[in-house]
Amino acid sequence: MDGQIAEEDWKIGVDIGGTFMDFCALEARSGRMASLKVLTTPDDPGAELQTGLALLTEREGLSPEAVSRFVHGTTVGINTVIQRKGAKLALFTNAGFEDVIELARLRMPDMYSLFCHRPDPLVPRDMIFGLPVRMRADGRRTDAPGDVTEALAKARAAGADGVIVALLHSWRDPSQEAEIRAEIEAQAPDLFVFTSAEVWPVIREYERFSTAILNGYVHPCVSGYLSALEQRLEAQGVPARPMLTKSNGGLMTAGEGRRDCVSMLLSGTASGVIGANWLARQAGESRILTLDIGGTSADFALIIDGAVQFGSDELVGEFPLHIPSVSVSSIGIGGGSIASVDEHGVLRVGPESAGSVPGPACYGRGGTAATVTDAMAVCGWLGHSEMAYGQLDMQVELAREAVGALAARLERGLEETAQAIVDIAVSEMFVEVEKLSSRAGVDLRDFALMPFGGGGPMLGAFLARELGMPRVIAPRRPGVVSALGGLVADLKGDFIRTVFADLDADALPRLSAHFRALAEEGRAWLAAQGHDGAVDLRLSADMRYTGQSYEIEVALDPDWLTDLPAIETAFHEAHRQIYDFDDREGRIELVNLRLSALGAGPKPDLTEPARVAPESVRQVQVHIGGWRPVPLHERTGLAAGTAFDGPAIVAQEDTTFAIPAGASARVDDRLNIHLDFAE
Amino acid sequence: MFDKMTLQVLANHARAAAENMAHTLHRTAHSAFVKETQDFTVMLMDRAGDTFAVPTELGATWYPGLTYGRGIDLVEEPYRPGDVAFTNDPYSGHVATHAPDTHLWKPVFSDDEIVAWTGGHIHNTDMGGAVPASLSRSLTEIQQEGIRFPPMKLVREGVFDEQILRIMSTNVRKPALNIGDIKALVGALNTGERKVHAMIERFGRQGFVSGVAALKDQAEAQARAILAEIPDGDYRFADYADEDSDEANPCRLNLTLKIRGDEAVLDFTGSDPQLASSLNVPSGGDPRHTILLVGVYYILYTLNPRILLNSGLTRPFTCIAPEGTVLNPVEPAAVGMRSLTCARLRSVIFGAFVQAVPDRMPAAPAGNNCIVNVMTRDERSQKTVIAAVNPVVGGGGGMPHRDGTNGSGADAAYLKNTPIEITETEVPVEFVKYGLAQDSGGAGRWRGGLATEMAFRVFAPDSRITARNRDRSAFRPWGTGGGRAAGLADMVVNPDTPDARRMGSKDTAILQPGDVLMVRSAGGGGRGNPMQREPWRVARDVARGYVSEAAAQRDYGVALSDGEVDEAETARLRAAMPAPDEGFDYGPERMRYEARWTEAAYDRLTEILAGLPIHWRFFAKTEIFRRIEGAGPEAVDRAFEATCTRFPDLPRPVLPAEAAE
Repeated sequence: MDGQIAEEDWKIGVDIGGTFMDFCALEARSGRMASLKVLTTPDDPGAELQTGLALLTEREGLSPEAVSRFVHGTTVGINTVIQRKGAKLALFTNAGFEDVIELARLRMPDMYSLFCHRPDPLVPRDMIFGLPVRMRADGRRTDAPGDVTEALAKARAAGADGVIVALLHSWRDPSQEAEIRAEIEAQAPDLFVFTSAEVWPVIREYERFSTAILNGYVHPCVSGYLSALEQRLEAQGVPARPMLTKSNGGLMTAGEGRRDCVSMLLSGTASGVIGANWLARQAGESRILTLDIGGTSADFALIIDGAVQFGSDELVGEFPLHIPSVSVSSIGIGGGSIASVDEHGVLRVGPESAGSVPGPACYGRGGTAATVTDAMAVCGWLGHSEMAYGQLDMQVELAREAVGALAARLERGLEETAQAIVDIAVSEMFVEVEKLSSRAGVDLRDFALMPFGGGGPMLGAFLARELGMPRVIAPRRPGVVSALGGLVADLKGDFIRTVFADLDADALPRLSAHFRALAEEGRAWLAAQGHDGAVDLRLSADMRYTGQSYEIEVALDPDWLTDLPAIETAFHEAHRQIYDFDDREGRIELVNLRLSALGAGPKPDLTEPARVAPESVRQVQVHIGGWRPVPLHERTGLAAGTAFDGPAIVAQEDTTFAIPAGASARVDDRLNIHLDFAE
Repeated sequence: MFDKMTLQVLANHARAAAENMAHTLHRTAHSAFVKETQDFTVMLMDRAGDTFAVPTELGATWYPGLTYGRGIDLVEEPYRPGDVAFTNDPYSGHVATHAPDTHLWKPVFSDDEIVAWTGGHIHNTDMGGAVPASLSRSLTEIQQEGIRFPPMKLVREGVFDEQILRIMSTNVRKPALNIGDIKALVGALNTGERKVHAMIERFGRQGFVSGVAALKDQAEAQARAILAEIPDGDYRFADYADEDSDEANPCRLNLTLKIRGDEAVLDFTGSDPQLASSLNVPSGGDPRHTILLVGVYYILYTLNPRILLNSGLTRPFTCIAPEGTVLNPVEPAAVGMRSLTCARLRSVIFGAFVQAVPDRMPAAPAGNNCIVNVMTRDERSQKTVIAAVNPVVGGGGGMPHRDGTNGSGADAAYLKNTPIEITETEVPVEFVKYGLAQDSGGAGRWRGGLATEMAFRVFAPDSRITARNRDRSAFRPWGTGGGRAAGLADMVVNPDTPDARRMGSKDTAILQPGDVLMVRSAGGGGRGNPMQREPWRVARDVARGYVSEAAAQRDYGVALSDGEVDEAETARLRAAMPAPDEGFDYGPERMRYEARWTEAAYDRLTEILAGLPIHWRFFAKTEIFRRIEGAGPEAVDRAFEATCTRFPDLPRPVLPAEAAE
């Protein structure tokens, strides 16, 4: 027995969502994969981890001592922001510029509303202290460093937990911020301090300041959570150093996460896309639209030619996040979105949601409003088998009552009303995806849709049809794609230097010097994460034509740093590809140099076990124009090579895959279901 | 008849098409005006040329109600697939509203028949004419404002008319930007066309056509439902732009909003005559011209955020803007700076609706969307630099449920700033301040949003500053329901020094090395009685520096000691304060002005001017203002008599009574 345990090598990915903590466990030697979901315990965060490990031990024979890799995605940071339960911060900045944080970039969403407003800043104005210091754009200081004693006394009197030091032009020279930090640390060692240049030293004061503030705001909560996590794992006998998933789709150690808190804020959605990309690659697909539908929202992301897309203005609650993050669009329409009828007899869906409590009416947990899930149940797509690992008992009758109330108001048939709710929900997602694809300048007809999450497979094929997408790929384990994403992710640290220079021969020596410094930083970072394998350094530059305000990021070969025309050509070509034109005569500015340092993670070749349960198909009634019998397949019984035509239903313990008429389905050897719509 | 139950599906497809067009244009345009200021629109139109869908995330907010019908009809040749027509002439068809705005439209054919149009506009950086960027308040004729193209085909069956492009390139200062932006807009129209074809395939041709009609009907029904809830009545409101021209008399806009059931008439009679400046708003007398209704879109959307934004919502409204007035000028009146007047027009509409639905409307927003540009010399590179510094916009008005948004908001929320670090790196200026101005928000139960204050230093001699759209230096954004008017806008050279120079309403300044220019916007008006604001909120405002301790005491009756509310003293102060008037608070400047220029005086002036030939009106207004002494209509009569004496050639006005005979 002991010998057998020693042979095993477990790698575990864990991701936490609103309702469940998802586990994805891989035994590396056998390639055996296991997944499970445990209800979250908001009162005792971390307890679900213990439960999950115990279940894996019991069901899969996991031995905690044999866990060599443990990757965790946590929402503790983003929840701290959304619930506004973060640290009480003081901001020390330049006198005269105390309102930079509140003014932000001025433009607001919802611009037709006279009531439009920005979110209240995470640091209120009375906790912002202007210091009489100033650095000019060329790095010259116009004032001697000021005395922080008075500001510090006020900040302490107001109960500050920590201080953010954020000064103009620290992207060029961080010394002024560092001097002030040193003074604070000397006078008030009990306060934590972050400077804007250490968190993310990029030009543009609002973006840099607000990133540092987000980092400080979540720091105490995240740090406390990570300590508890490490203790729990240790108590369980897990030897692996825990790793955290990051918004950039990579990993870092939990130790790193204590100070670099801002990097994990959007890790949940990011690792979903990483997991989807990995599944897609295994299935031989490189152009994917991912669709993750939960109870209250739907998330979309594009994978273009095998590459996850990155943005630097993803939203954390109401706040933009300016560090590189996997680009994910979100819309407030999910399985729990509520349908209503307006005074003119027009049906609408959302933005109100029944969430997970009380949830859709058919969950029988006290919800009475008609939701998208209820509409699917009324039409017969749901409600024929157990849901959510047997933790939900579907009561279709309650769905019929809820939708019936709307049908009565509309004076329309029950099923007709239910179908309209589904159509409207899909059309809301359609708008969001159309925007995403037009921003990226891609034609979705060249893409396959990969639905996951509890609700993705339920609506995914309908959305694909509305978008004119010819193919859908439903992975075998749609409920744990984010956990899987963490499991297969690489260590990844991002580094930036703002250069802000005209791109000419004079600039090249500086670029080389910056690259050497960045590379050193990247290597040191990987070493600090305990990485001893190959180091992959990726260099890129943010460039623009003089006079433009937005840069585009262009990948650079480090050899080009002595080859000006190569850099110029790369920029012109990238510009043409994104904007449809270039200006070969135009002057180019190089704003930032970026470097990503990657340390490869495990790349297991997952073959789902060939053993499948006996094939199980039965006929159920589904309303498609009228009631008709439709085959319902149990997912566990679908072996590789199986093929069938829609309409059909595939039920599994954590989701239901609705396959419309006109689609043909086949199961590949990794047990993904591929749908093709006839032209 | 489209199935109303699933109308939202079609609405979503239409909006997706419009958002797609906007992204295509935003992504591929060349100029800063389009890419950064986002001064562009795109739309889908039905076969009559009426807008049925617009984007909500990108672009300007002005044109959901625009109709291209008149422009479409002015192209004499028949349209063929692949054609694109265009115009930038404010006086041909009243589609364009100043020369830089170039509007394009493209037919969408289905079975040899036009079933829809895609369209949009871009603000060209320059269209030629007397000044760079083609915009200056001092211009007096449309011919000075650049080259104009009446509606004509720009693209024939997919091929650009090179002659038109050559003529344009010859006449404008930045031809590459214009042509680049126009081509990007054509690309967006093609995207829209493709999306309309997809909609026709999805919903069927008949389904599409009837669905589009249903979308407009739905918007109309939503607008009517809002109006039906508003009590019938006549609601009068007037407001002033600081200066009507270089003559520097106020420009008055006057509105009588008549709500009857689910319809409304906006009668702008009593507004100024057309001006000898470029502040005129060319509506062409169209009773539903979109440029007159922008304030209405804000109100409808604020009252029902789910309203469909399309031309259907203009149907219950009828505007009356008499010919020869500032809101309906005749050629060749200049119109380039109409956006300043439009900001005031919106506040006039807001003021009328405040009376109609007092519980649901905010107080006045700052209403001055000032764009600051600097031209200076970079001593490092020895080059002249021209750059936009930042917009200086003020706060929103106090809302029924929260304070006005600070430093922007309400009808200015589409503007974006430029980071100080970027500006300082690119332009030889050094910022001294960029932030909010204390005590600039109108006091109220809900305080008005604070003004923005920006100050910067230049280093080269004869640095030239323009601050376009500056206003509200003479007339404050008003407060409502007992709330107080906001702080005034200002522009000062070398503030807080012995040689400080106040610039009043001027929108240009010349600076010498070391000079600091401070530009401050107005604030937002306050809403509700300030004595009812919770003392803790006032104390918090003081702690945050939004309100001074002195103003807390004076305007709110809140006494503080060591930052804490002194309850007893506050109670005493508040008991001693007279209850404020529940109506509007305009501030002392307007009260003084209207002591002379009473409503009756303005009625009399309007009567006189309306009776004169159009080209005499502004002259007569200016001369009357020059001579007026005393107050009221008699003073106007005396000043007019004196003017007639001085200018015997001035025709006698045809008064309404005589006209009727």
